[in-house]
Parts: sequence; C-alpha cells; structure tokens
Amino acid sequence: MPVQDVLNAATLGSIYLLFTLGMALVWGTIGILNFAHGATFMFSAFIAHVVTKQVELPFLPVVAIAVVVGAVMSTLTQLLAFQPILKRSKNQHAAEMRILIGGIGVAAIPLALAQRYTRSSPFGFQSTYDAQVYEFLGLRITTTAVIIIVTGLTIGVALTIWLRRSRQGLALRAIGVDAETSAGMGVNRPALALGTMAVAGGLAGLAGALLTFQLGAIAPETGDILLIKAFAIVVLGGLGSMLGTVLGAYILAAAETFVVVMNWGTWVNAVSFGLIFLILLVRPQGLLGRKEVRRT
Amino acid sequence: MIGARKRNTLLAGLAMATVFATAACGSSSAEGNGGDGGVADTIKIAQVQDQTGAVAYAGVGASEGAELAIEEINEQGFLGDGVKIELEKLDTAGEIERASSEMNKAMADKDVMAILGPTQSQQAATVSPLVGRTKVPTIFTQAGAEGVVTNDYTFRATPPMESYYEPVLDHLKAEGAKTISVLYNATFPTFALLGKDSVPQWAEDRGMEVVQSLPVEMTTQDFAGQAQQIASKKPDALVMLLIAPQSVTALGQLKDAGYDGQVVATSVQAAGNISEAGDDANGLVYPVPYSVAFTDESSVAFTKAFEKKFDKSANPYNADGYDAMWWIAKAIKASGDSSREGIQKGLVEVAGEGYDGAMGAVTFEGNDARVPGHLVRWMDGAETLVN
Repeated sequence: MPVQDVLNAATLGSIYLLFTLGMALVWGTIGILNFAHGATFMFSAFIAHVVTKQVELPFLPVVAIAVVVGAVMSTLTQLLAFQPILKRSKNQHAAEMRILIGGIGVAAIPLALAQRYTRSSPFGFQSTYDAQVYEFLGLRITTTAVIIIVTGLTIGVALTIWLRRSRQGLALRAIGVDAETSAGMGVNRPALALGTMAVAGGLAGLAGALLTFQLGAIAPETGDILLIKAFAIVVLGGLGSMLGTVLGAYILAAAETFVVVMNWGTWVNAVSFGLIFLILLVRPQGLLGRKEVRRT
Repeated sequence: MIGARKRNTLLAGLAMATVFATAACGSSSAEGNGGDGGVADTIKIAQVQDQTGAVAYAGVGASEGAELAIEEINEQGFLGDGVKIELEKLDTAGEIERASSEMNKAMADKDVMAILGPTQSQQAATVSPLVGRTKVPTIFTQAGAEGVVTNDYTFRATPPMESYYEPVLDHLKAEGAKTISVLYNATFPTFALLGKDSVPQWAEDRGMEVVQSLPVEMTTQDFAGQAQQIASKKPDALVMLLIAPQSVTALGQLKDAGYDGQVVATSVQAAGNISEAGDDANGLVYPVPYSVAFTDESSVAFTKAFEKKFDKSANPYNADGYDAMWWIAKAIKASGDSSREGIQKGLVEVAGEGYDGAMGAVTFEGNDARVPGHLVRWMDGAETLVN
C-alpha cells in the first residue's frame, strides 16, 4: 500500500484502538463483557454535543466533558447494574451471561434518549477548534488524526505497561485469573472493578469526543457499529492482552484499508472479519492470548 | 297462563332487541368496511412508522406533517360539519418484524380506515403483500424502493428518488462537468440502484464519463481512503449517495483530502441533516421533493402553516405526512365514503387528477406520486433554489 494508505490505516486503527481499549481492559481483567460500552461512547459525545449547542467550547473542554460523562456513566452502570447482578448470581458463568444481557439493556436507555433528542440525525460539536491539514511529501494528515494516533498509541502502551508492572495492574490480572483466590490474598475486587469501569468509561468518552472531531459528526447508532469491531479486535488480539488489542486494532484497520484501496467497498466487513476468522483458526486464543489463562 | 304470556312477550321483546342490535352492528360494520357509502363522524387513520430508531426522523417528521393536515381538515370542516380525522401512531422502531406486527394490529382494528405505512423500504416491501390481502388502503411515505407499491391498496405519497434525480445530471452538464465520480452506499437499496445503474447511464447519455465508482457499506464510518482516491482522480463532480452521518464525514474528509470539485447529493441531506458538516457542506447541491425554498403557492402555504404551528422550519418528511393525510381527506371527499373500500377508490380517483400539496404539483404514475422536484444549494445553513 502507498504511504498515504498506511497513514489512513494508522488513523483508522487508532480510532478502533481508542474505542476498544476500555472494553478490552474491563473484559480482560474483571471479566465483564460490557455491551453498554458503545452507548457510553456515544452518550458521552452526545452530552458534549448538547453542552456545545449552548456554548461554543475549545477542543480540550469538549474532550474533558466527554471523558467525565463516560466515567460517570460507566461507574453508575457498574454500581446499579453489574454489581447487583454479580451479587445475586449463583456462579460466575451465570453472572457473565446476565451482565451481557444487562449491558444490552443499559445501552438501550442512552440510545433511546439520544435518538429522541436528535431524531437520529448526526450530531457534532460547536467548537472553536478547527482541524488543520498538514501536507508533507504529498501526504496529507489532519491535526485530529495526529492527536488520535498519538493518543491511541500512548494510552495503549501505557495501559499495557501499567497492567504488567504496577501493583494495581497485578491485582487486576489476578482477578482475571482467579477472583476468589485473589480476594483471599487481599485484593479488593469491588473497589478495583469500580475503578476499572470508571477508567474504561473515561476512555469511551475520550474515544467519543475524538472520533466525533475526526468524523465531523456521529449518529446515535455509531457506538453499536464500533462495538462489533471492538469485540472482534479483542478476540483477535487475545483476551487479557492489551498489546494484543493494539495489534488487533491496527490489523483490522489495515485489512479494511486494503479493501478500500482495492475498491471492494462492499466487502470490507466480509474480508476483514474473514481474515480474523482465519487467524483464529490457527490461534484460537488470539494473537497474544495465553491458553492457560483462566478468567473469572 | 298470564305468566306464560308475559314470559313469551319478554322473550319476543328480547329477540326483537337482538335483531335490531345485530342489524345496527351490521350496518356499522358495513359502513366501516364494505363501501356502502357515507362519511363517519370520526375517521381513524393509523400511522405505522418509525417513531424511534435510526430513521425516526422520517416517521416523526411525517407525524408532524400529518398532524398539521388533520388540524386544517378538521378546522375547515373539509369532510363536513363535525367530521373529524383521528391519528393513531404505532411505532415500528426501525424493525421489520415490528413493522409487520404493528401493521397487523392496525389492520385488525376495524375502526382503522387507512394507514400511513412504513418509511423504510425493507419494512414497506415486507408489509405490502399483507396490505393487498387485508385490503386496508395504505399510503407509504419515503420507502422509495421497488416492491412497495404492488397492489390496488398500496399507494406512495413520496416520489421515489430516481424519479426526480435525473435533473442533477443536467445541472452538472450545464456547469461544464465532463468527468464524475460516484460514491454510494451500496447497502441502501435506493442508493444502490442510483449509484450502480441510473447515474452512470444518465451520465453516459449526456456525454459525461464516470471515472470512478466507489461503493461503501452501511457501516462505513471513515471515508479518508475514498476521499483521497477521489481527490487523486480529480473528477469535475462527485455524486455522493450516502446516508446522513456518512455524508457529514465524507464532506469533511473530501475537503481534508484536497478535493474542491462540485459535490451533488440527495434529499437525505435535506432536513438539516447536513448542518453538522458546517462550512464543508457549503455549495452542496441536491434534488428535493420539498424545500422551504420552494415558491409554489401550495408549498409556501404549507411552509408558513408549519412554521406557525411548530415554530420551526418544515422539512421533506413533514411534507410527506402532510400530503399523505390531505390525499386521504380528498379521497374521502371524492368517493363520499370513509370506509376502507371508499378510501381506496377515492385515493385512485384523486391520483388520477393529481393535486397541489406541500411538494407542489403532484402527479401520479398509477398509485405512485411524481413531482418535478427542484435542485437546492446548501449555503451557510440554508437551502436556496438552484436556477
């Protein structure tokens, strides 16, 4: 692929990565497959949209609003939906299934609110921020794309290192391996789960704001489309591996960009997901997943 | 003996009452469905369209237009003193299965005399055969694909996009375009038909060359690759057939990629759906069956009445609901019969003559509306007529 296409793939991959990081963090550590992640992403941007309709804001305040809204939403989801489900479930397997359904239920509420408010029309931000286009040796890239690539890679690598080297990261990974034993070793699972959900929500909000700046506008249903891709990325990269998630995001983006370059536009999903399917046939645990890891 | 006589009298009275009651019910039923003539005091119309979901703007917009029409019809006494039209909304929520079940519900209600049918082509095509079997006159709005108007009881108030899209190519030719690219959502039936077949054919007929045809999916959200492909080909014009959020993104990324040719789009970009693109949308041209910029007398009247009632500008979806409801009212008046059969006959009769509505002078091909349509240009948040 020409360099410009590589650049496009890097931008698209970073968009996918930003969206997927929060979901991968929660699923790979505390074992919650949060189907409300897409709604959190969308609703964070939606609230920022509502605020900026009243008052035009610069780039950073818009991002900050979305991050805070995402973190609050995700924390509330954990407190009001997932935690009660966990408490009332007889075993982990039953809890996971109920959390999955619960997430879908939770997602329906912000989706319906945003759809009613916007009538499902696209929405963006009234912002003083105006993306600039840089041209270098025939390559074109916008400031927003640069921000997305740098932010996505930085957070992806930082999360990977944090999970591997920090005490909290170790505790989270311990929960992922065996929740009961880790609790016996003094790990405070509810508190860590709440914190993880808050961080994941903040990441969803960050992705929502950056993606809306990048695309100009998103629709209430945008989160649902990305959710499927994020799911595929986590499985491709290997559940529990943040580095795998980073790789998975860029592989999916590269595959999609290749399909676009070849002008097989309607085959994007078929080719991309077909490729993932083939990789999983060879490595069912994903690219960097470990067979021996047993999640809660 | 006297007791037995009294009992017989009582039984006879009950029998008579039963006969009268049955006759009365039969009469009511016949008036409701059989087409024996007469206009009921209250005529119930069901609107089975998306009130929620991804395409709610079309259903909710049609609701507002229909409500305005009903207010005018009732206030004018258009169907006679005291005759009222009532609207019952049934939400299809963007789902084909829900559309089918809500249509069944509306059809099973003997008080429902006509239906405003689903706005999405796939929903409409699914319920269309059902309409023919149950014989409840149904007017679809939007739903521009084939397979929607399929029998004597199915009608469409919104002209299919391809019926008024061709002037776009005339406009491009007049503007001096010799080469065009086509970027289209191949998952959206109307856009697939236009992008794959109609637009290339019309371009060829006018001596223009289609240098690029880029199909995308409904789920495509990033157009950076396509935008750069278009910018590198440098066509004189781009025909962009995308849904609302896609077009906002595509316009921004086309600008980022350095494309500065003329972009023409579709009526999907109307109703303010393109406003989020800001300055990137300036100069965008698209054909519409209705716009607040229309100057036809009936269009202007609708525009003003809508603004007065809702304190906002009308859009093509509002015009859909308005024209559909007035079509029903005119049909009842034409046939003098508010039953299902009467309305069906009246709709055919009105279609034969055409009418002036929110969309201007509306004519018909069979049960399917046609309008000349006009090109509008989006500039600084408002539409202006081209030419």
